[in-house]
Amino acid sequence: MKIKSLLIANRGEIAIRICRTAKDMGIKTFGIKTAKEPKAHYLSFVDEIIDFCDEGDDVPEFLDVERIVQTAKGHNIDAIHPGYGFLAESPYFAQRCEEEGINFIGPSPEAIYKMGNKTIAKGIAKKYKVPLLQGSLGNLMGPQEAKQIASKIGYPVILKAAAGGGGRGMRIVEKATQIEKMYKLASTEALKAFNDASVFVEKYVRNPRHIEFQIIGDKHGNYVHLGERECSVQRKHQKLLEESPSPALDDKLRKEMGDAAIRIAEGTKYFSAGTVEFLLDDDKKFYFMEMNTRIQVEHPVTEMVTGVDLIELMIRIAEGEKLPFTQKDIVQNGWAIECRINAEDAQSSFAPYLGVVDKIQYPRSKNIRIDSGITDSSVVTPYFDSMLAKLIVHGETREKAISNCLNALNKFWVKGIKTSIPFCKAVLNNKKFRNGDFNTSFIEKEMDELFYQGEYDEMLAAYLATFDFAAGLETERTTHIDFEQGKNISPWILNKRLRSL
Amino acid sequence: MKLSRKKKKEQTTEYIAVSSTNNKYKIKNPFSEDIMINHKKSDIKIFDDENGFTYILFKKKKYLAEIVEKSQNKYTVLINGVSYTFTIETPISYKRKKYLEKNQQRSKTEMVEAPMPGKIVDVLMEEGAKVKEGEALLILEAMKMQNEISSTVSGTIKKVFAKIGDVVNKEDVLIEIERD
Repeated sequence: MKIKSLLIANRGEIAIRICRTAKDMGIKTFGIKTAKEPKAHYLSFVDEIIDFCDEGDDVPEFLDVERIVQTAKGHNIDAIHPGYGFLAESPYFAQRCEEEGINFIGPSPEAIYKMGNKTIAKGIAKKYKVPLLQGSLGNLMGPQEAKQIASKIGYPVILKAAAGGGGRGMRIVEKATQIEKMYKLASTEALKAFNDASVFVEKYVRNPRHIEFQIIGDKHGNYVHLGERECSVQRKHQKLLEESPSPALDDKLRKEMGDAAIRIAEGTKYFSAGTVEFLLDDDKKFYFMEMNTRIQVEHPVTEMVTGVDLIELMIRIAEGEKLPFTQKDIVQNGWAIECRINAEDAQSSFAPYLGVVDKIQYPRSKNIRIDSGITDSSVVTPYFDSMLAKLIVHGETREKAISNCLNALNKFWVKGIKTSIPFCKAVLNNKKFRNGDFNTSFIEKEMDELFYQGEYDEMLAAYLATFDFAAGLETERTTHIDFEQGKNISPWILNKRLRSL
Repeated sequence: MKLSRKKKKEQTTEYIAVSSTNNKYKIKNPFSEDIMINHKKSDIKIFDDENGFTYILFKKKKYLAEIVEKSQNKYTVLINGVSYTFTIETPISYKRKKYLEKNQQRSKTEMVEAPMPGKIVDVLMEEGAKVKEGEALLILEAMKMQNEISSTVSGTIKKVFAKIGDVVNKEDVLIEIERD
């Protein structure tokens, strides 16, 4: 059935991304406005705004299943796209949509449930002969069981939340004495983040690569993979920079891993877009890690090299259409890199940097794509994650993509807050990264500086002296408080005003 | 629009800029055409563009510049998104600073501050406890991540200010440690 209206149960850049495709398809979009960011940028893209600002339940707006479902029903909305995060991987939410006759744009509740539970997912991988790491077959009963299994398979091991994702509820354990403490940390974090304290244990591969395969399936049993994404540049299991293809794969390994990803999808009767994540060790052996049953943050790199629109496919598949291509139609064309522009301070251990984005200016070129959730005067609040925008850059080769990306970052200007731009530059300038020789310990081991810095102390000193001089002129006459703005005024502006006097 | 190159006054002014890494730069004639850095003429130019950005043109490259903090003569500035801290001294204040530094003693206590805003979810140390460098002191939850805050010094816990459940701001003092 054709989808004519769509509720986007998300915010930020992904809400805008979904809007863009929906608009192209002639679908009317609805967005949710929250009291936490009533002037959010994404609201200017939707056709209609639904106000969730009034006192709701204690549940955060984008997690409030009943409210969202009832709202969609009340407005006669055909479908809901959950984006990523929030309810995207809630089987209950998908179930409730189904029950109320709303088309949930994503996989079936069963598939979400099975893949969301990592122990069930591992069972499926085992059944379909996808390589797995040694570890507990199910959830652990407690730290003692973790200890037992760990001594059998050998340290280091990793404790992971069964319901986990996004790096939360994970702890690496190097030796037996740490296991109790780490177990407690992992399970409390899991309980907080996913409302489920269950944890499992598996062998920890030191310094693996993190490589994932984008798969897509329709409701008629057709499956295609759209190649891999290299996501090894991570900090605390949070991805920071992704690329497609991966410099670690050749066509043979790509086919092997892609086939394995499709076997998992087939085994779950999966439809819609999904991502199968693998670890790849030094010997180029790969292991199934998990499957994400949603659109991923880093999906644009796949779109850029394959030319498909994943959101469009998700919508069409939800409408019941067949995949418009087969595996042999999919070609990876050139190279794409995505930099996550987060409101984080790389100079102070990536602490969130809250505040107001005074000004933002994007680089522009035909090989650049910007998926941004912010605009001038946007507020970075502590309520949501720190990702503000994504810069995706294409090049014919990896080398070209890297240099195009660096050029783009130099023209990506943000004023008012600190972002991860200097970090991304440091990665792209790193020799090992440029050689394609890196893994998930890259940031920790290979980066001496977490941010790119030029040799311009001198320039700075002059700048500041200039500045102080200007400010000095100023203090003779007036104060530094600008009552119009209620904050400290830039002495440059003061100067300008002075001169105009 | 070019901003800084017009001569404001005919007088010679001199400043000493001291970076956080203790590099010193003698700046003569700031805010003028003939700005001198360590007695060399510099080609630094400062612009305000029509979009509200300030940038520096230096050796034919553009650098986005933004002052984020000023307290007295101490500046924190972002250049291309990286922060730098400088103090700007006059020749007289510089002499005074040198003198004070000589007489200053190393503080015996270490204040453990919150590295980011968040919520205290666990306090692992009690007052009077001995800690080693690198040992975990408390757990701070920020943006849904549990962060271990560990001690940067070895010593004795003198005072614990943070309680479980406290919501803290960046740079709030959480624990005071007396160094060994």
